[in-house]
Amino acid sequence: MPREIITLQVGQCGNQIGMEFWKQLCLEHGISKEGILEDFATQGGDRKDVFFYQADDQHYIPRALLIDLEPRVINGIQNGEYRNLYNHENVFLSDHGGGAGNNWASGYHQGKNVEEDIMDMIDREADGSDSLEGFVLCHSIAGGTGSGMGSYLLETLNDRYSKKLVQTYSVFPNQMETSDVVVQPYNSLLTLKRLTLNADCVVVLDNTALNRIAVERLHLSNPTFAQTNSLVSTVMSASTTTLRYPGYMNNDLVGLLASLIPTPRCHFLMTGYTPLTVERQANLIRKTTVLDVMRRLLQAKNVMVSSYARTKDASQAKYISILNIIQGEVDPTQVHESLQRIRERKLVNFIDWGPASIQVALSRKSPYVQTAHRVSGLMLASHTSIRHLFSRCLSQYEKLRKKQAFLDNYRKFPMFADNDLSEFDESRDIIESLVDEYKACESPDYIKWGMEDPNNMMTGEGSDSGSLDPKSVV
Amino acid sequence: MDDEEDHQKLPDLVKELILRLISQNNNNTIDSPNPNSSHFQSSLRYAHRILSSRLNPSVAPDAAAIADSVKRRLATQGRSSDALSFADLYTKFASKTGVGSVNNKWAVVYLLKIISEDRKNSKNVDTSVLLPNLSISDAQLGKGSSSGSRVSRGADKGWSNGILLVAKDSENRREIAFREFVNLVKEENEVSEEVLVRDVIYACQGVDGSYVKFENDNVGYVLSEFVKVPRGTRTMVQKLCELGWLFKKVTGFISRSMDRFVAEDVGTVGQAFCSALQDELTEYYKLLAVLEALSSNPIPLVSESASSGNYLSLRRLAVWLAEPMVKMRLMADLVEKCRVLRGGAMAGAIHLHAQHGDPLVHEFMRRLLQRVCSPLFEMVKRWVLEGELEDIFAEFFIVGQPVKVESLWREGYRLHDAMLPSFISPSLAQRILRTGKSINFLRVCCEDRGWSDAAAEIATDIGATARRGGFRYGETDTLESLVDEAAKRIDKHLLDVIYKRYKFKEHCLAIKRYLLLGQGDFVQYLMDIVGPELSEPANTISSFKLSGLLETAIRASNAQYDDHDILDRLRVKMMPHESGDRGWDVFSLEYDARVPLDTVFTESVMARYLRIFNFLWKLRRVEHALIGAWKTMKPNCITSNSFTRLQHAVKMQLVSTLRRCQVLWVEINHFISNLQYYIMFEVLEVSWSNFLSEIDVAKDLDDLLAAHEKYLHSIVEKSLLGELSQSLYKSLLVIFDLILRFRSNADRLYEGIHELQTRISESSVSSRNQSKSRKQLVDKSVDQGSWIADGRKALTQRAGEFLRSMGQDLDAIAKEYSSLEDEFISQLPVQQHVDLKFLFFRLDFNEFYRRASPN
Repeated sequence: MPREIITLQVGQCGNQIGMEFWKQLCLEHGISKEGILEDFATQGGDRKDVFFYQADDQHYIPRALLIDLEPRVINGIQNGEYRNLYNHENVFLSDHGGGAGNNWASGYHQGKNVEEDIMDMIDREADGSDSLEGFVLCHSIAGGTGSGMGSYLLETLNDRYSKKLVQTYSVFPNQMETSDVVVQPYNSLLTLKRLTLNADCVVVLDNTALNRIAVERLHLSNPTFAQTNSLVSTVMSASTTTLRYPGYMNNDLVGLLASLIPTPRCHFLMTGYTPLTVERQANLIRKTTVLDVMRRLLQAKNVMVSSYARTKDASQAKYISILNIIQGEVDPTQVHESLQRIRERKLVNFIDWGPASIQVALSRKSPYVQTAHRVSGLMLASHTSIRHLFSRCLSQYEKLRKKQAFLDNYRKFPMFADNDLSEFDESRDIIESLVDEYKACESPDYIKWGMEDPNNMMTGEGSDSGSLDPKSVV
Repeated sequence: MDDEEDHQKLPDLVKELILRLISQNNNNTIDSPNPNSSHFQSSLRYAHRILSSRLNPSVAPDAAAIADSVKRRLATQGRSSDALSFADLYTKFASKTGVGSVNNKWAVVYLLKIISEDRKNSKNVDTSVLLPNLSISDAQLGKGSSSGSRVSRGADKGWSNGILLVAKDSENRREIAFREFVNLVKEENEVSEEVLVRDVIYACQGVDGSYVKFENDNVGYVLSEFVKVPRGTRTMVQKLCELGWLFKKVTGFISRSMDRFVAEDVGTVGQAFCSALQDELTEYYKLLAVLEALSSNPIPLVSESASSGNYLSLRRLAVWLAEPMVKMRLMADLVEKCRVLRGGAMAGAIHLHAQHGDPLVHEFMRRLLQRVCSPLFEMVKRWVLEGELEDIFAEFFIVGQPVKVESLWREGYRLHDAMLPSFISPSLAQRILRTGKSINFLRVCCEDRGWSDAAAEIATDIGATARRGGFRYGETDTLESLVDEAAKRIDKHLLDVIYKRYKFKEHCLAIKRYLLLGQGDFVQYLMDIVGPELSEPANTISSFKLSGLLETAIRASNAQYDDHDILDRLRVKMMPHESGDRGWDVFSLEYDARVPLDTVFTESVMARYLRIFNFLWKLRRVEHALIGAWKTMKPNCITSNSFTRLQHAVKMQLVSTLRRCQVLWVEINHFISNLQYYIMFEVLEVSWSNFLSEIDVAKDLDDLLAAHEKYLHSIVEKSLLGELSQSLYKSLLVIFDLILRFRSNADRLYEGIHELQTRISESSVSSRNQSKSRKQLVDKSVDQGSWIADGRKALTQRAGEFLRSMGQDLDAIAKEYSSLEDEFISQLPVQQHVDLKFLFFRLDFNEFYRRASPN
């Protein structure tokens, strides 16, 4: 009765990071590229059945769905060295293969059209699990397939599997370089609405920050996608270690997320990882004690979300929750000492309206992966400064929207037909209220927040969207 | 072998020598020497005495020095040629080595030198330079016309020696006076000294004499009062007769003990003591026999005219008996002390007298103790090497008692302090006890035979050292090294068996994983599947069913990869239940440790594990409930869109109720998860890692037991189960109950909200079914409940009422919770246990509570 988790990788980016994720899991569990358990992988203690299942011939097969509207990346996977790992029935490619053209509306609409096919695949996987815990969606929010189709899948999953958890690993676009996707702000906004309403937990992977980390921390002058993706896969695999190596606590996704997400709306998590290395690069070995690791995790430069906050705002920013997953050989007494030190130095600023503390989960390290450092750590945290990321999305959207630019591409699709752009407005309102809620969390009066002004709380109020609610099924 | 032969040979050689000497001297007499003649006998006795005497000349045993002095003397006397030839001869003699040569060269040279000096200085020098104290019999022999050459020479020359050196000059005034005095004394004494001496000698053998008799009143031998003797003599007799009294006491003890040997509890130590005493007495008998023989011989006086008394006067007797007296006193003292003692106690009592400054006494005691202690040492040896308690008379300082197998280690054997001789230190005794206990534990509980190899090795090793130093009283080092060696190997073997064959660490880990809930996934599934069952009343729950569920949980989790032997031992245990108990109250897991590990995991230990399990299980249940509550509250479960049509006031009510519920959840969850983190890090993991490091240095089973006890104790204390934290624990249980109530309230709230949501969307759909609907409802055929029929107004009203009552319930819970938690947290900083301060530190990490409370 493992708490199975089904991974949906949607779009070009989603499949790329998904592929890296599975590579990493295979390494850590001692599963070969063919899906066969390596001879040396006998030490046990790990749970492979959360993310894999065994075929009749003992092959380990990822519980993964590979979904894209254009074939390039998935074909790459199917011709790559891991081609025999995946279940080929779980690959979905659109018939026309034309992709979504970086248009959210196209992706969303195509998702709706192929809903039945994809839901069949999901149902099949779900039926194959004993006690399905939830879904993990890997996608980017800027493009067309990952954002649009991903959004549609989020709504559908929320609808059909309302009791199951939905977690996403959402890649936010790099703000530092001019994107070839000009409608990126539209796509991001529309996706963010679904992430706010229909996901239980969103792990924010900010390409801007990933690039920065690759340049600054790993000293790569021009990081490739593969290199930033390996950072992502490191984070993804590390954040699932407690599920895969059961210990005293945090053995299932819900247990892991519950403490991280005390307020339902604020379910966007930042990540940090130390010590960082990319493949074939082991030059950054440092002293790794629990305190070192925990202290470094609190440093902004190791956090994989850009901070757009101004100094004044940054000083106001507060942690709502922190979970540090420490891997490796750790003397448990060090944890307490580190916590004490961190509190003495006031290295962490928590919310005022409720009790909070740094949670620490100790987890085993895979015995099959050799690393130069004794201890490594992943931080999952809910931090109010993430609102600046959303504010930035909003302001970019406003700029574009004011010019009424590129809206024609969207009007071609039913949702925006007849020049009905209320979806944009509604999304904007929801993101705005999300930003407000994060801001409110910085004040001690969060508990009373929104009571005076219902408009802040009641998102979507005023629009005739009563029937829009997809959650009418109880 | 050689020794024995020598023993045989020596007397014969001595006899032969005397025979020859006598016959040489008797050349001029007619008789050939008769071996049976008294003359020969006395010569023989004399020779024996010389030989058995331990007198040493006061000259360093250096042959070269003696040779030098001889040379020098010859040279000074002007006989340089003689000196040269002597030097020549000496070098020849000294260079002779190997078989057939003389070993003790200096002695030969020395003897020759003495003899030659004797010849030269016979006029004025006493021969007794050579043998000072033996000249008594010398004198006696000298009286006879024929004797050993040297003596006869002395007699020929007309001198005598002895303690009483009487001048031969008859005109000497002193001699005349002395003779007069003797006559005077003779007149005064009714009884002659000879008789008294004889009586005293009798008395010393425990026999009544003619005048000296044993009197029970005075308890001792006394000289009859009717006998007229000088006061000095009487006192003397009295003093000497003490020996008789002592002797009687000792022999009395021996014969009493002898009588009881078979029937009663004299014990082997007692027997050894008696036999040692008897051996000492044999020496004493010998002496008495000699004295008795001497007593009839008169003092040899040179002048025939002087009337001499018997050789053995009372005074001489006193001198002779001084040493036996000391020994006899000691023996009598020991006998008195040991009358009621046995075994080790007896050895200990005797040992107390061994620390004596007098080398004579010291040596005597050492000899005695070696004999007395040998049975004890034999017992120690058998115990530490074979684990056999060979002690039919209950003399050993270790006693065994029949016990159940699991308590063999703790209660099977113990030290019997009364029987512990003081020369064995308590720590050594403990080591001895443990070593044999280990062997017995291995034999009985572990069914192990391997220890005998270890024991055999020790026996060989120690055998070597024992031959060198001896394994007996006085060789405490040998004993210690034997015990240490045996203890080291046996303990190592025992730990090996416990670790390797009985997988001690694996079982500890299993207990930590299953009873202390370390195996998270297993605990989770167990909670999932057993939970619903446990909500039933305790008396309706079948433990068979629970066992089945346990099995399922094992197979579903990573526990399935565990050793089968370990999984077999994991069982469901239903504690006795009272009416009204739910399954939660009685369910627990137990671990069957089995022999021999049940020595560590005794019933009381398991009972403590059970308490810890129950606490952790309760905590897990609460955590499980909280996570369940989060799942119903999870982020994507409510979208507020559907509530747009509600009245503003109701909407506000909804928002505020939800918020209150969430914030309360945050607070409770913070409390529970930090309590869990505390339990995991500060309690379980820290105790465990301490335990592991202590196991690594454990040298014997006792260390292991102590380490485990410490481990368990620290868990119990730190997880609030100790005596000191009773009140904390109680308030914690109250909080747990409240949290469970909160969960059901939260569930009800969300259920109500979901229902409301459904009604509203249905009503809006039905009221606006002509309007554009982008989203198809998946299921419109939900039963059209009464809410819709009642219309919007009624709906709003109902929602308002529901939210109001839920809000009130939540407020009540929140209030109760915060007062309970405040109480709990305020107790933490004042706790004795430092780790509970850690808990406080964790709970109030962001100083929320410090800010909240005014002080």
